Amino acid sequence: MRAEHIDTRLLKERTERSRDMSGDAVRITERVLKDAAADEAAKKDVMALQTAAALEHLAVSVYRTAAGLPFIKNGTKTVAEFIATTVQQHQEHAKAFNAAAVKAGGKEQTRPDEQYGDMVRRTLSSARNPVDVIKLSASLEDMAARTFTKYVGQVRDTRVRRLFASVAPVEAQHRATLLAVQSLLASGHENLVEIPTDAPRLPAALGSAGIPDVFQATANARPMSEGAVL
Amino acid sequence: MRRARGGWELPIGESELSGLTKDMEEAHRETLPAMRTSAAELGERIRELGQASPPGSPGGLAQDGPVDAGRRRFLLTAGGLGAAFLLTACSSTGTDEKGLPPHDGPSEALPPRPAVDTVMYTAELRFVALSAALENQAVGAYGSILAAAGAEKFGAVPPAVSTFVTMAMAHHIDHAKAWNEALTAAGKPVVTDVPLSNQRAVTTALDRAATVDDAAKLALQLEEQAAQTYLSAVYHGKSRGGIETAATIAPVEAMHASVLRFVLGQYPVPDAFLPEDMAATPGLLTV
Repeated sequence: MRAEHIDTRLLKERTERSRDMSGDAVRITERVLKDAAADEAAKKDVMALQTAAALEHLAVSVYRTAAGLPFIKNGTKTVAEFIATTVQQHQEHAKAFNAAAVKAGGKEQTRPDEQYGDMVRRTLSSARNPVDVIKLSASLEDMAARTFTKYVGQVRDTRVRRLFASVAPVEAQHRATLLAVQSLLASGHENLVEIPTDAPRLPAALGSAGIPDVFQATANARPMSEGAVL
Repeated sequence: MRRARGGWELPIGESELSGLTKDMEEAHRETLPAMRTSAAELGERIRELGQASPPGSPGGLAQDGPVDAGRRRFLLTAGGLGAAFLLTACSSTGTDEKGLPPHDGPSEALPPRPAVDTVMYTAELRFVALSAALENQAVGAYGSILAAAGAEKFGAVPPAVSTFVTMAMAHHIDHAKAWNEALTAAGKPVVTDVPLSNQRAVTTALDRAATVDDAAKLALQLEEQAAQTYLSAVYHGKSRGGIETAATIAPVEAMHASVLRFVLGQYPVPDAFLPEDMAATPGLLTV
């Protein structure tokens, strides 16, 4: 029987083609998975930014309501001025968060945080004096600082991370100032709530009242999805 | 601050001090475990990076594009900060015709950076070592302020300032510990002193501080430098542990700055966003 001739060139060609196709399939799958992961991470960044904007709107709303309360409006001038400046700063934060959300392909968040807002508004409606308002504002600032600090470690885009990292310390400073004022009011030193203050007369407790934490806590931070705009 | 036999006592009652101590201990309990986890993660990540890239090669912080710009900025800001310290000190003690103390020429104030092969901390570890050094610098500065107050150099020290200085020093000790835990986890020696090229300027300024306000202004600059350095690190850092550690310390340094501003008669929250113009970079390290 005559040996049958096998065309090995064709076999080689097909093997090579198969190898190329297999390589292409791996590369395409990798790219698709990578893109999907990047999309997912980008979506999380947008949600974080929208939730942050919602918290900022809530802060603005609470401070504005507080500013209209008679014991704030007719109370210490420095507190009223602090509220006005802080409202401006929160508005700037909201604007920056929304700009970043839009840049990342998301929508602007124009509403205050509903879930956390319910509790905050209930507390504000029962406020009877400046200390009540200051306590509530300090806890609102604390929540913002906790949330933004936590997001720093969770977001993907370095510019978004930087934004959260540049806002969280400012919310912490608002809180420190409010806690210091709360301490002065609670100890009957209302006359020292002014800028410039009379430093030699400041009570010893003021030196530590504004900074209760050694590290910024992040426990109970608001979930990223809380203020997301669908 | 009042003098007591053999030392200093806080101008507050024992029960108030106990309350403050209890609060501080609770804060420690709440935050330190998280810090240890972050430090351990950071150490592991840095060890991985070290294995992936040979010593002296770019990695971690050094991989980012903006680092060159950051280094250029450092030449401006580190020098600027040193000059600012000196100007603050000179404002109360007089200056020479150049506005600087004669012994603070660039060759002394900024010792040459060690050659790459002698650098002890590489890649992201340089930032960790820088952070530990900055914290040690703050601890030393507050310690000097307390000692100077004890020697009645500043006259009467407001009670709130005494409390603040004691508390802030304790905070910085804990922050340094957190950074050093990361170094230990990465198998590197801890930073127990202040290997920073601006240290001479800082100690000179502290020596020249004649009033509580002078000392508070110096402390404010150190707090601002630390907070802004951590903001910069969050942006340039690679390891999640390092980013989280910096992110949880920066707000506390910023709060320190707010209290100091209030005591100094300034508005406590001057900026809507934390700036970075005073941030130090790892180039400040001399080890």
